[in-house]
Amino acid sequence: MRGKLSSASILAMVEMEIRRLMHDPSEIVARAVQPILWIVVFGVVMARRVLLGVEDYRSFIAPGVVFQSATFISLAYGIMMVFERESGILKRLLSTPIPRSSIVIGRALAGSIRASTQYVLVILSAFLVGAHFKTNALLLIGGYLTVIYVCMGFTALSILIASLMKTRERFMGIIGAITMPLFFASNALYPISIMPTAIKIVALVNPLTYAVDMLRGMLLGLQANYMIDLILITAFNILVIALSIKLLDRIIE
Amino acid sequence: MFAIEARDLVKVYSGNVVALNGVDIRVEEGSSHAILGPNGAGKTTFIRIITTQIKPTSGSAKVFGYDVAGHAASVRRLIGYVPQEMSLWTDLTGYENMLIYSKIYGIEPGSRRKVIEELLELMELTDASRRLVKTYSGGMIRRLEIAIALMSRPQLLILDEPTIGLDPRARMMVWEKLLAYKKESNTTIFFATHYMDEADRYADRVTLIDRGKIVAEGSPSELKASIGSDKVIIKVQGNTNEARAYLLDNGYSVETNGNGELIIAAKNPAYVLPRVIEGLYSRGVVVLEARAVEATLDDVFIKLTGRRISENEHGRVREVLSTRRAIRRGS
Repeated sequence: MRGKLSSASILAMVEMEIRRLMHDPSEIVARAVQPILWIVVFGVVMARRVLLGVEDYRSFIAPGVVFQSATFISLAYGIMMVFERESGILKRLLSTPIPRSSIVIGRALAGSIRASTQYVLVILSAFLVGAHFKTNALLLIGGYLTVIYVCMGFTALSILIASLMKTRERFMGIIGAITMPLFFASNALYPISIMPTAIKIVALVNPLTYAVDMLRGMLLGLQANYMIDLILITAFNILVIALSIKLLDRIIE
Repeated sequence: MFAIEARDLVKVYSGNVVALNGVDIRVEEGSSHAILGPNGAGKTTFIRIITTQIKPTSGSAKVFGYDVAGHAASVRRLIGYVPQEMSLWTDLTGYENMLIYSKIYGIEPGSRRKVIEELLELMELTDASRRLVKTYSGGMIRRLEIAIALMSRPQLLILDEPTIGLDPRARMMVWEKLLAYKKESNTTIFFATHYMDEADRYADRVTLIDRGKIVAEGSPSELKASIGSDKVIIKVQGNTNEARAYLLDNGYSVETNGNGELIIAAKNPAYVLPRVIEGLYSRGVVVLEARAVEATLDDVFIKLTGRRISENEHGRVREVLSTRRAIRRGS
């Protein structure tokens, strides 16, 4: 009964999000503009200059831009929790029999599904400007699932920050401060090997690095440490989801 | 067993804000019980404790015998709750909101549709159920929220300011629906309000709360009887001195209100009224207006605390209304 209730309520949270998205899909299009510019402007311009030790730059940055834009959406998802805190939704939700873990896991999954639309749009636009990907359907689907899995952790992190910050202003302040550094101090735009040591260290503790490494391996056939990537991403997910469940009650205090 | 039983409940928020300062409340099973007091009295804090959202600083609270701190999960299975603030996803339809909650409450897939449709029907929302909630009026939003709270057939329905910001017609409709459901199901209803007429009309028992302390408890008629008197209010022509002197001579207690009217406390105003008019007339005082006024719960509150229940009413309602408008705009 308990287990059944949990999985049903996790899926209810996901269903809520998908229904919302279906009522107003314009958001998906609006959010696609920025990553597409990264690919077709930045990617194309930079590809003319061979300075990074990367042969096919358009293809190289596509997985990075996928994660940059998807994690950005995930990290912003917590604002929804702040709104629901200001309205009575969270108060009501937290006094129903639904377990706290279902709320966090359900919303983390919901947020990551919201973010995952970026994968399709970015890969497609990169392909249109001449990027080359493996054409193995299984790998493409695997890439999509990787994006969902990784974004669950970042959405949970966002929910955690929302629980601690509580107000829109403070939440947006923190999110604004971490998203860009997260992107630049990772292997999304350039390989770790060319980074100065200090940034290299940051990049190595940045979960985004391992996510990008994994996706690059799948889509471009570059060498990737799948095992290490998966272990570290899983550890990050477990850590932030557990903390987020533990601290969820704080959001309504 | 009591639906709610709180003993010496204390809640101190950070910054040493004392919201509840030793509260004892017992709510009979099957009753409709109001907690009435001005904004900031501690009503919402009490509700947040019994709905297991926050833990008390000290003291205990039980819902049908389950401690809210120790057995929160059991309490949550027994209650339905409508918070003061809007608690719906406005970018979903009314039906979708109910559907998501039916899954959260673990209602069997086979009976979901029936449960939802019956409650929509009861709340007169069937026609609107396919529209986005952001197009709903305040009264419709409230009725949908109540419908969701009833979905799990709760033994205790807890409502925080169920009709705040609604116009009189919408308020009446909300209560009509609530009472109809209560009659059929015998659910206990516990609600917080700062509308004294709402407590008077719809509650079997009323607890008056002020600054985190209970100041009185009883049925509305007991409470009104406890202050001993209804009132006779008269307006006389010219100076009130002559009239006042006459009334004091005859053993009445007299006060003057802001409009220059004389207020006479009276146990039986219907009896006192003609006699006062006759007596004043015989003294040559012309009575312009006279009326008998029953005591209200507000009078009880003033007598006990020296303050009115609804002092800041207008600012508060405006705030709630503008929030609702913002929600409807979708901003």
